[in-house]
Amino acid sequence: MKNLRLLFGLIISLSAFPAVAKEKLTVLTAYPEDVVSRFETAFERAYPDIDLVVLWRMPHDALPYLSQPKQGGVDVYWSASLGNFMVLKNQGAWQKLGISRQGLADQLGALPLADPDGFFCATETAGYGFAVNPAYLQSHGLPTPKTWQDLADARYQGHLALPVPSRVGFAPMMIDSVLQQYGWDQGWAILAGIAANARLAESGATFITDSIGSGERGIGPAIDFFTASAIANGAPLQFVYPEPAAYSPAHIAITAASQHTDAARQFVAFVLSDAGQKRLFHPDIRKLPVRAAVYADKPDGYYNPFAAADLHPVVYDPVHALPRLALNNALFDRLFTDHHPRLQTLWQKLRTHEAAGKDERLAKIRQLLTAVPVDAKTAENPAMQQIFADRSTDAKAEAKARMLEQSWRQEIDSRYAEAEHLLKQLEP
Amino acid sequence: MTRALVILLALSGSLTSLQAAQAASSFEIADATREAYSRINPEVTREQRAEALRGRSLLRQSWVVPPAQDIEIAGLGPLYNQLSCLSCHPKNGRGQPPENPQQAMRSMLVRLSLPGLDSHGGSLPHPVYGNQLNEQGVPGVSGEGSVRVDYREERVTLPDGETVSLRTPRYQFADLQYGPLGGDVQFSPRVGPPVFGLGLLEAVSDQTILQLAEAGRQQGVNGHPNYVWDAERQRPAIGRFGLKANVATLRQQIAGAFIGDMGITSSLHPKENCTAAQIACKQSPSARQPELTDAQLDAVLGYLRLLQVPARRNADDPMVRQGEQTFIAIGCAACHAPVLTTGEFPDLPALSGQTIHPYTDLLLHDMGDGLADRRPDYQAGGREWRTPPLWGIGLLERINEHSYFLHDGRARNLTEAVLWHGGEALPARQRFAGLTAQKRRAVIRFLESL
Repeated sequence: MKNLRLLFGLIISLSAFPAVAKEKLTVLTAYPEDVVSRFETAFERAYPDIDLVVLWRMPHDALPYLSQPKQGGVDVYWSASLGNFMVLKNQGAWQKLGISRQGLADQLGALPLADPDGFFCATETAGYGFAVNPAYLQSHGLPTPKTWQDLADARYQGHLALPVPSRVGFAPMMIDSVLQQYGWDQGWAILAGIAANARLAESGATFITDSIGSGERGIGPAIDFFTASAIANGAPLQFVYPEPAAYSPAHIAITAASQHTDAARQFVAFVLSDAGQKRLFHPDIRKLPVRAAVYADKPDGYYNPFAAADLHPVVYDPVHALPRLALNNALFDRLFTDHHPRLQTLWQKLRTHEAAGKDERLAKIRQLLTAVPVDAKTAENPAMQQIFADRSTDAKAEAKARMLEQSWRQEIDSRYAEAEHLLKQLEP
Repeated sequence: MTRALVILLALSGSLTSLQAAQAASSFEIADATREAYSRINPEVTREQRAEALRGRSLLRQSWVVPPAQDIEIAGLGPLYNQLSCLSCHPKNGRGQPPENPQQAMRSMLVRLSLPGLDSHGGSLPHPVYGNQLNEQGVPGVSGEGSVRVDYREERVTLPDGETVSLRTPRYQFADLQYGPLGGDVQFSPRVGPPVFGLGLLEAVSDQTILQLAEAGRQQGVNGHPNYVWDAERQRPAIGRFGLKANVATLRQQIAGAFIGDMGITSSLHPKENCTAAQIACKQSPSARQPELTDAQLDAVLGYLRLLQVPARRNADDPMVRQGEQTFIAIGCAACHAPVLTTGEFPDLPALSGQTIHPYTDLLLHDMGDGLADRRPDYQAGGREWRTPPLWGIGLLERINEHSYFLHDGRARNLTEAVLWHGGEALPARQRFAGLTAQKRRAVIRFLESL
């Protein structure tokens, strides 16, 4: 049995040997481990002479980190935070990418995929839509929604989970995409109907997927990759992209302070390469590549935003949305989060009366419940937007924001009180 | 049915009927998807579930170098191995070793010590590098160095002529930043093990573990518990966690991993993981004290305790049944105990009285020179390892996209893993090698059903 003998033990060279010198490249990101680990491993195989070090910070924490002298030693910033890329560009924090963009589109409809000055570019995008539990819809006799307008329909009352944009990271742009698609006033009116149908969710996107997957609710507006990944891992869910869909791109940039520009460019080029972009198809990632050609090798059923945009051109521009997101968040909370049980009661009564028959007061009540205390023109005012954008870091801005919110509260309360009064008149 | 009878029936081969007679535990879930290691037991209170979800977020969190605005998730380093628990336990499953010296250890680490014992009888940390090589440092602090691995292949011929190539790892330390390790250093490479089912293992009573040791002796193996220092209760206790069962409780195991792998302090490990010689490390700021609050630690504990384990699949497949019977007949079940019943567990009563199928006895066994790390830890000798649970092992390839087994991932498939068994397991290994090829395949098919 000489061949069955067990093998030898551990072998070690205790005299530490000098490794072949590797160039250290530091990447700051907010991607989860599922994404980071796969790109780390693939990049290491492609570039064994580069030692990739990954640091992690949420966008609001990354901005001051990258604004400090020497930019914290970071060479590459890679994150889904368009605002940071634009602010840091204005600070002179980036150097030109200087890579070939052959095969990479500069636009997806209205959505820019590259900084016009070449300082950063999109590496992937994610779509907004509806996480759906088909079994839930079937058991409740509900059709699959196709548009945001659909979600405001009375038949979905009690069947939605809607993330609160001031609390859930992906939600502000999603909410703004409704406003851009439908216009300011109609957009808020649709959101009011959706909020009336929904449980408001203040946890992250995994909560939406958990909530819909468990059948607690049947539909959850969300960003696509959480649900798409859950589906790829076996969850009996569906993700519906409204037509046209809206997208949130992630970007990449090389810091001005980087001393490893060549390695940084190699990393950027790798992320944008065929091999890098196809990594996004992995069941644990499920992001949408920005290199259109790789969709030729997409898994079955994988959504192709370029093909979708041919049919329904993208109208949402996140660059336009950014300045007003904080204002939107405040409006959402004052309109819906603060009054949610009251809002739901009012809508339930309104819909009951609407279903029962026509009364000229119903249109007035609906108008009272869907009106927004800031008009479209005011919402576009940069000074107004800046008050809310600065409120977390500027006491004066916070004071102004609170004053404005107080006036909104009074206006909303007055409208709801009038709606309650009119609804009472309609009672037999 | 008494617990002792359950164990003895399991070891004597009346397993299938026994399993059929047991009510399914709410901790076993019929799920073969890629999320099968990540299911939270739904039969818990809303509060318990909410805490478990908070724990899940923390387990999945990539941690931030302090100072940082996000204080709740700050505290990485000054020295660390990875940013996230999931780095070494992807999808709550198993990590993997590098394939060649060019690749870094991304879900694996190397424990260090010197000959001797610490004040409680545990391994003696290296005076400069501590008890684990932290390959990474936060900006301004040098990582401790790196470990490169390559493999030497040796072909083994089984009695029926089938050949199997086994690979022996060879480790080299490189770029050591704090001086040489010294010739007497003891080191032990470890791949991150799965983290589901740990609550159930914690709920197995001491009495059951001792009975398993006695039952094993009747089967010709000499497993013994590791008596370790329970730092929370300040007394010796039977160790259950860690590859050498060197940690008494799951809470301590979690806190140990946070400080050891990520440099995140907790009430159980209030000091950063810097030795006296690591000046920059000592001067590096902490996020807060402790960085992982007790509430956060308990949330992670709650999550891990409530994770379900995948139920067996294809148990009625004739080949699986044949493999199961052979698994028992050749002696594998003497250590890989198929059926256990948990004891009373007041901390989380849902874990009490559960019939489980972990395929471990939680005991230390001599596994021979081939697998020896020669690094004792409490009463675990340099050739001894705790019997690893086998539940869920058949889903590894689907969930973790590899099939590397054993403590250092040297085995590339289950057959290689079995053939690496030595020491007390050598007779069982030889019986496995002596089976017909068809019966060996049946044993593997059985393992794949777990």
